[in-house]
Amino acid sequence: MFGQANVLAAGQAAFPPSVEDFYLPSILPWGAHDSYWFTKITAMVWIAVGVLIIFFLATYRNPQLVPTKKQWFAESIYGFVRNNIAVDMIGHRGVRFAPYFTTLFCFVLLTNMFAIIPFFQISPNSHIAFPAILAVISYLLFNWVGIRHHGFVKYFKNSLIPPAPWYILPLLIPIEFFSTFLVRPFSLAVRLFANMFAGHMLLLVFTLGGFAMLSANTWLAPVSVLSWTMTIALTFLEFLVICLQAYVFTVLTASYVQGALADEH
Amino acid sequence: MAGDQKPPNAGGADDVPSGAGQGWTALSYLIGGMLVWGFIGWLVDQWLDTGGIATGIGVVLGMAGGIILVVRRLGTPT
Repeated sequence: MFGQANVLAAGQAAFPPSVEDFYLPSILPWGAHDSYWFTKITAMVWIAVGVLIIFFLATYRNPQLVPTKKQWFAESIYGFVRNNIAVDMIGHRGVRFAPYFTTLFCFVLLTNMFAIIPFFQISPNSHIAFPAILAVISYLLFNWVGIRHHGFVKYFKNSLIPPAPWYILPLLIPIEFFSTFLVRPFSLAVRLFANMFAGHMLLLVFTLGGFAMLSANTWLAPVSVLSWTMTIALTFLEFLVICLQAYVFTVLTASYVQGALADEH
Repeated sequence: MAGDQKPPNAGGADDVPSGAGQGWTALSYLIGGMLVWGFIGWLVDQWLDTGGIATGIGVVLGMAGGIILVVRRLGTPT
């Protein structure tokens, strides 16, 4: 860690930051630059999974009627997702999706949060692979739920044929197909990825920019300080984006499930 | 309409999805309409060498289609 600081102080860090900065050196084998099997990103995903499992196991191990502090915390997260996302979007049928939505929400929130936790400082979701897999799961979920609820033919009839006169259907069906079955997983993944990528990039620019100016000319030191102050301010903005994106991802998944379950008007 | 009064969400089966989901659906219909029919128009352009006219017609048609879809799917729940 001090090595990193020395590199920054000596002005040897590359500025402007590039996509290369998202590919961290490998952990196993240690320090290799072209091996991506086990990197800091991989480690963080497993840490997130482990933390969530341990957290919910520990808080529910010995549930009390009058909740303890930990139990209250876990229950309010679950209650929030269950009432404000699942039931609010889907209705009473949403309750059975609440466990998945809670897991999804907590996982996205925690992996996003790594972007601003000291020493982690990058979110796995700034690599499109992780949001993409989450989006694929959501996509399979809402299609599977819809097919099970309506049956294959009726599900596709419901989602592809809007209530409209027959002569404009040829105009509308391609749009329905495009926006329901092609754009949804793509936009879910890209929205989360782009937010986390841009957030990390922004923090890099302002942090490294401060060092770059400082090493270019000592008289620029006040501007460097301004730049680092901006980093702190942007970290708070990042916190907002992190919570918002975790919420949006879950709400949209719930909204897709609701659409798949909806009966024809 | 957006200003219409809606009874508080009782968790019933036929509830219309709340704001956020509907907003994204509407947006994806409007943009999707332009993209799909714009692309089909562009293909027609490539095929008949019409120099962009078909793309334009496609985009306008797609916008109209997107608006119809928003009205039909999201407006006046019955």
